[in-house]
Parts: sequence; structure tokens; C-alpha cells
Amino acid sequence: MSKAGRILTGRDHRVATTIHCDVVVVGSGAGGSVLAERLTARGLEVVMLEEGGYWTRRSFDGREDHSYPRLYQEMGNRATDDQSVLILQGRNVGGGTTVNWCTSFRTPRTVLDHWREQHGVKGLTEEALVPHWEAIEKRLHIAEWPLDRMNANNQVLWDGCGKLGYSRGLVRRNVNNCANLGYCGLGCPLDAKMSMGVTLIPDAVERGMTVQANASVRRLLVGNRRVGGVEAELLDPETDRPTGVTLTVTAKTVAVCGGAINSPALLLRSGLDGNGNVGKRFFLHPVVVMSALMPEPVAPWSGAPQAAYSHHFIERGPGKLGFLLEVPPVMPLIAATVFPGFGEEHQRLMEQLPFTQTSIAICRDGLLPEDSGGTVALRDPAERRVSIDYPLRPFHFEAFREACKVMARIQFAAGAREVRSLHSRPVRIQRQADIDAALDSAPWEAGRVRVATAHQMGGCAMGADPRTSVVDSTLRYHGMENLFVVDGSVFPTSLGVNPQETIFGIARWASQFVAAATG
Amino acid sequence: MDVPHPRPVPAGLSRRTLIKRGLLGGALLAAGGAGFLALRGGAKVALPPDGLLVFSPAQFAVLDAVSRRLVRPQPGWPTVDEVGVARAADRIAARVEPSAQKELRQLLGLFENGLAGFLLGGRTRPFTRLEGPEQDAVLADWRDSRLAVLRTGYAALRTLVVAGYYQSPSIWPAVGYAGPPGIFQDGPSLPEWRGGDAPRPDGNGVWHGEALP
Repeated sequence: MSKAGRILTGRDHRVATTIHCDVVVVGSGAGGSVLAERLTARGLEVVMLEEGGYWTRRSFDGREDHSYPRLYQEMGNRATDDQSVLILQGRNVGGGTTVNWCTSFRTPRTVLDHWREQHGVKGLTEEALVPHWEAIEKRLHIAEWPLDRMNANNQVLWDGCGKLGYSRGLVRRNVNNCANLGYCGLGCPLDAKMSMGVTLIPDAVERGMTVQANASVRRLLVGNRRVGGVEAELLDPETDRPTGVTLTVTAKTVAVCGGAINSPALLLRSGLDGNGNVGKRFFLHPVVVMSALMPEPVAPWSGAPQAAYSHHFIERGPGKLGFLLEVPPVMPLIAATVFPGFGEEHQRLMEQLPFTQTSIAICRDGLLPEDSGGTVALRDPAERRVSIDYPLRPFHFEAFREACKVMARIQFAAGAREVRSLHSRPVRIQRQADIDAALDSAPWEAGRVRVATAHQMGGCAMGADPRTSVVDSTLRYHGMENLFVVDGSVFPTSLGVNPQETIFGIARWASQFVAAATG
Repeated sequence: MDVPHPRPVPAGLSRRTLIKRGLLGGALLAAGGAGFLALRGGAKVALPPDGLLVFSPAQFAVLDAVSRRLVRPQPGWPTVDEVGVARAADRIAARVEPSAQKELRQLLGLFENGLAGFLLGGRTRPFTRLEGPEQDAVLADWRDSRLAVLRTGYAALRTLVVAGYYQSPSIWPAVGYAGPPGIFQDGPSLPEWRGGDAPRPDGNGVWHGEALP
């Protein structure tokens, strides 16, 4: 009955414009897209605003130098204020789902139990989520990637874990007709990745949703216990600078879905600090890396980026962060920035890239009682960048050190000739027997070892108590009748698994509450 | 190579006072822009014919000098001049937030500055006037400094220069990378759906099954 909506960019409005709808969704990633699709299925009129651009396989070219500026926050250079943690985060229509590595895990039951027991989250049980996971897994073709299509980079982790007796598993991926190219992080040229931009966003547009790309929402129109809508500045699609045109969207309900950094920042810019809780309990699955020189070619840029994982070290006892082992795809530009050193030493490392295997340990932060995570805050009001602080504490460094040892053992077990940490003065190890001594004596301090994150969570924690959380167990902002936060920022802790399917599931589950508030 | 011994942290320059928001603390940045030793001229280098977008000629010279230590002449590797590393770094910086551009300019000033060099490492000559091995020692000093703020500055400067070189497809052969698969070349000929009256093109992402509960 209703005709299709439109996908607009920053050039499609020349003068200040106001539009009205039932629900305005701020952000087009895993949370916003799933929510929007469900709301349109109920017949609601939805407008989706996205700060990044609208890029499709028509413009994906597989080049790092073009893709990072187009598709990532701060051109791929987002980092904590002290530069100690590199933050990879999507910024485009589809958000992180356009550039992530397709890894799809259901939320671990232990994490859902922890949220219920420690944070008073109600109703968000495995039983409540299963129907949503089943539907989304069907729609996005989520299935285990077969062992016989695993690339050499993953094979090292798989084989090494097998030899050492560590538990291992095959990754489930959201792909359809995947050709095993390996360019998931730069935009899929085949639309084989079931990202939001090729699935649920166009589904919702077919039902009438309007998508406005290049729309930077500067503030929520906050009234007494209600939000009237949002105000956005349009950005030029080419330069990413404001065009001077504002777009106002008034709505019955507002859903903030900007992710764990931009959602808290928008609330703070709008004067909503959630009793001081907005921007707190920010978690990012801090990642440490070991690279290994292998005797045979690895071509770490080629093939499905993530196919093997190990949860062997996810529970390490009280006071310790558990970690998940995976591998990343590695391409020349990102490799050059994270591989340490200068001059000839750095060039030798780069020349060996085709023979270099890389493993990552993803540390599960936020579950220890003493781990309150980092903080997202505003800088000077004139600044568009937000302040991101993530203090690295002794328990982080203990996990980093032990994880690097484990990865080195796995790499040697799989045949590595040499393994290397990403310390700014690299630790290079040629023999299995030297691992402990070499890594025990390495400097474990912020800014001396490369730490990164591709998973941002928290900042608008859900919970029962408004004194310690931002949204309630229906994802409604405490004290506001029609303001919801629907994305990874509502996680009270991190997960210990890649977060996209948890965000899908929670957003789909929460769509009932957003619809009910819209009437 | 004579590597200067790390100097004790000057009184008052504790981590707490130095680390504020942003790349570098305000007190140290002030030293980057002033001081009589800073007035000693740095090296002059040829500027790009199409000009600079973010950095001054003096800041450009620092980027140029750092890039020559990052990438040594090697058979099979494009030179920094062929890639135009400092120019590329200027173009990358042109796309970042104005507030971040300001911090990068301050960082380059501080790095070049003889007074800051004296306070932090014992040198009085501008960075661009040092011999190559001396420049390597300064870079190593920042990298290994006990002041977190200098390690932060090292990371930011290094990332900018590394990106300026390795963004270029001309370096792919040197690192054994063949470039993106040919399928990407089909992109420009493909349709791009923007809703409205046009029907959505069929493709992998279109759902043909029954409506999901």
C-alpha cells in the first residue's frame, strides 16, 4: 500500500527543512537498522538519520586509502585521547555492518545472567532472544563457514589450537553467495555480506522509510519528560563538512542508535547526563596482537577474514580478564600503521607481509567488579570530536601479556619461524622456549604496546536503578517517556564475543517497546 | 650512533599536568610555538607545486624529514619523493577536524623546536637540521619516553607519516600485495538504488522467503 521511501544524501536539501514522522532513528548500524525494519513492518512511519555517507558496491573499490575515510569514524584514525587504543568503528549507511568481518555469535548465557544478577536487567533472557536470533539468522543467512574454505591466516589459529589441545570453533558468518575474497572490511563488492545496507535498510525503505545520509544530529529537542525530535546539520558528501543546511525531524518517539561513542555524546550534547551515568561504563574489548613469520605464504588479506576462534581462555578466574582468540585480515596500509618500528626494520616487516600471520586476543572487559571501563565525554562545544578515555589498568596488562604468550605458543605450534609483539620496540622471539622470558620483560604500559578495538560497547548502560544506569530494561531512557537508546551502548558490560548479533537480537526484541511507546 | 640518555622528567612536567584532553597537554604545546631557540631556522625543502592545505612550510619540512627516516631508499621501493609523502600527509590532515589539525601543527612545531628538544632530550638544533642518525635517536627518544605525552605524540606523528607513504598503490609490489581483485572494477557499472519509484534491483540481499515473525 505505502510507496517506497527514499535514500537521500547531504546534497538533497538546499534549505532548512522540517519533516514529521512516527519514529526518528538516529544511526543506521546494527541497532538502528533492525529496529527501523521492525517498526516499518508494524506500519509505522520511520525516518533514519545517518552521519556517514551512502556508499554501495557501486563505489567500493577495495582500496584502503579510499575506504577508511569513506566508511570509518575519523577516517579510521579514531583513538582514545592518549592514542593508546586505536578504535575501528564504522560510519556510513549500514554502520559497522558495512565494514565488519561478518562474525556472528549469539550472546553468551553467562553474560545475560550477569546482567540480570549484577545490573538488574529484566526480561532479557536467552528464551526471549531466541526467536529474534532465529529470525535474523534466517534473514541474514548466518551459518558456519566451512573448514575447507578457511584461509591460511585462520588455519594457523585452528591448527595451533588443535595441536595444543585448546578448544576451537568455526565462526558463523552473515553472508550469501560469498566468494571468499577477504575484503569485508572495505565494503563487499558482491553484496554477499548481509550488511544492513543491502538487507534490512532497503527492506524498510520499500515500506516507506526515508533514509537521510550525511545528517549529523547535533541535539535532541528535549522537553518535559518527552523528546520532540532531533535537529541535524547536513554534511557535504564529498568534503564531510557542514553545508549550513539544517534538518529538523519531529517524531512521536526518538531512538538513539549511534553506537557506544556517538550515542552518549548526543545525549550529553542535549543536556541529558543520566545522573552522571551517560558515557560511563564504556567498554571496548581491548585487543592485543601477535604477528608471526610463517614458512609458507599466508596472504593475510585474502579469504574470509574470520573463520576460526577459540574461547579456551574466556574464563580465567577471579580478578582476571578472559579473552577470545581470533584473527584479523591484514592489508598493507593498516599493517604499516600498526607494525612497529622505523626505517629498514619496519620495511623488512612490511616485505614479509605475505608470509605474516596475525592473531588477536579480544579481552572481555566490564565483568570484574573492579572494572568500570572508560568514559566518553564532550570536549569544547565547538569541537565535533568527542573525548574518549580508556585507562589501561594492571588487570588489562596481565591479560595482554598472558594472551600474547598464548598466541605465540599457538603460532609456534603451527610452524611459525618467528613471532613478534606490537610493542613500539618490537619483541621478536625465535624459539618457543623464549616466549615467557621475552614477554615477561617487555614493557606493558600505555603507548608502548599497540592496543586496538573493533567492538565498542556501553556508555548508556541498561539497568534497573536510575542512579547507576541510563536506560531501563525496555531501553527507555530513565525519566523520559519517548526516548530510547537501541545499540551496543546499552550493554552493561562487554560480551566476550563479537557484538553484532547481540545488537541485532536486542534491537529486534526492543522494537516492541519502541512501538508501544509510539502508540 | 650516540643515543642520548633519557633525561629525568623536569620538575612540574608530571603526567598529570601534561596529559589533558587531546593529543598533547597545553603547557608543553606552548613550548612548541615559542622560545628563542625555535627561531633558529629549520631546513627548507621544496614545497608541492599545488601548495599546502594544512601545514606551514616549516611543518611540511618536519614531515618530509621524518618520512625520510621512516622509509629508507631500497631497491624495489618507491622513494618518498616519488610518493610525495609529506604532501600526502598534508592532504590526509586536510580531512580531519580543524581542532585535530591544530594539534598536529602544534605537535610538528614541538618536534622541530630546539628549546623543547633541549628540555626533553638535550638537543638545541631543530629536528630538520640534525643528521639522519641523530633524527632516528630523537624519534626513539619520543617513542621510549617516560612521558606518556611524548609517546602519544610519537604515535600521532608516525601514523600520519606512515599513512602518507603506505596510502600509495605504488608501494604494493614492495610489500608483495597484488591489489584488490578485479571484481571491484565492475562497481561503476552497477546500479545504485535510492528508493522512490525505481524498483529495488534483485541481489543477494533481497529476501525471497516468507515474512519473518
